[in-house]
Amino acid sequence: MTSIEEQIKEMADRRHDAAEKLRFFDAGIWLGEPAGFPLAHELSPDGLGAALKGRCITGGLVSHWHGKTVSAQAGNDALTRALEGRRDEVYATWTALPLLPGEGGRLPGAGPVPGQVKATRIFPKAHNFPLTSWCIGGLSEWLASRRMPLFIWHTELDWKSMYELARAFPKQEIVVETQTQKILYHTRPLFALMRDCRNVCVELSNFAGQGFIEYAVREFGAERLIFGSFLPVNDPLVPIGMVLDARISEAEKALIAGGNLRRIVNEVTP
Amino acid sequence: MSSAFIVDAHAHIGRPGAFFAPETEPDELLKLMDQLDIERAVCTDHLSVCEGCERTLTILRDVFERSGGRLHYLAVFNPKRSSGCMAALKQAMNWPGFAGLKIHPSFHGVPAEDARYEPAWRFAAERDVPILTHSWSVSDYNPAQQLSTPGRFEPLVGKFPRVRLVLGHAGGRGTGRHEAIRMARDYANVFLDLAGDIFCYRLIEGLVDSVPAEKILFGSDAPWLDPRSRLSHVLLADVPAPAKARILRENALRVYRIGAKEKC
Repeated sequence: MTSIEEQIKEMADRRHDAAEKLRFFDAGIWLGEPAGFPLAHELSPDGLGAALKGRCITGGLVSHWHGKTVSAQAGNDALTRALEGRRDEVYATWTALPLLPGEGGRLPGAGPVPGQVKATRIFPKAHNFPLTSWCIGGLSEWLASRRMPLFIWHTELDWKSMYELARAFPKQEIVVETQTQKILYHTRPLFALMRDCRNVCVELSNFAGQGFIEYAVREFGAERLIFGSFLPVNDPLVPIGMVLDARISEAEKALIAGGNLRRIVNEVTP
Repeated sequence: MSSAFIVDAHAHIGRPGAFFAPETEPDELLKLMDQLDIERAVCTDHLSVCEGCERTLTILRDVFERSGGRLHYLAVFNPKRSSGCMAALKQAMNWPGFAGLKIHPSFHGVPAEDARYEPAWRFAAERDVPILTHSWSVSDYNPAQQLSTPGRFEPLVGKFPRVRLVLGHAGGRGTGRHEAIRMARDYANVFLDLAGDIFCYRLIEGLVDSVPAEKILFGSDAPWLDPRSRLSHVLLADVPAPAKARILRENALRVYRIGAKEKC
């Protein structure tokens, strides 16, 4: 082995040990067939444990593509079946819709919600509803009353409506996710939103501009950053690397790697 | 005791456009390189990408010298400003830090196979310098990417077999990657770099399984993207250490013919 190969092995071992120690807890794990990513392979429930272990992840929130591509209810049904009986640190993110009386099927705010459900996600653009209080205010009230977080891809929101909603429901924890395209071009509204709305956090899978983590920790605090990978479309090693090599304290890394999301999950009430 | 050995084969300096970027200066890149054991980088700047290299090469040479010889530079050839770019290129050819050419068909709005690129290819062939190009997949939200799909480069790759062509971003996140892999397999002079948000699951393992490791170059796309986003992707990938050594260092030294301290 050459000296460079030895150095590479040492750098890899050091990062692997640090990643294990930080116990990464992932906000963005997806089952089902990825839509819009022709080279990505489907992650099955049976393959979930090995995929997480292979990338130093201890658990996290699992979503299902059917919640976007088929229907919210179909995705929530699929998740319920997939996660039934699991004993690991894996929870469900259900797809949510505006609350309308009489709508059937498994939906947040419409009937009982299993204990495994710890978060929701909405797709205003894909599911054709505005991100405004008069349409989803009922859902926001229901979520806030249970301290259940609301996740949303930045490609599914308009910044003005997002700002108004976050201000209208200051106790509603909102996580802006950096998929499915670069968040890079939208950092001005994102950072302004985070500055003005302390209930808004950012997810890390594509929060990858140079110095973004240090900037966000300095300006908003480490409590506002949530580790997420977008597995199996993206590789968890990308955001893991950004956290491992960030010029922030170990305590701040621990919050970002999993502490923040575990706190959010633990605060959800039935 | 560790020492810097990595070569970042695809980076930028200066403000990268209209979006907010907290770190854009050469000194900030060098500080990050020091932290990550990156010995040197091959850079362009955003003004060059926008317009071409006529007014920027002296600035880039100055950056190279102020960096202690660590921030090499490429001259961007804009086919819409061909004569000015060629004049600047000929002047800069023997300057310290000059590492080759860059083209960006999507940004310049000229498809990769267009004959207007031939002066750049001929220059590269005659001077034995490489060309780095932007490459990507067909995109439903960015139509200009269709101008840079890997297969479009094939006519000029075949016509200039001695020119080392680096397909930046390895063809992107979609089917362009299949084309890029085919090109790297079929042509001895085609290479792939890892720059950009091609953060795909098991990308490194998949590329190493598909093309010789000698064909893959580590690149960050800094400051658009942080080198830390790619470094652990490579270091922690399930591929052998010798392949990682080629990706992180040896291939870039060979393709760009940039000097480096003897490390092996």
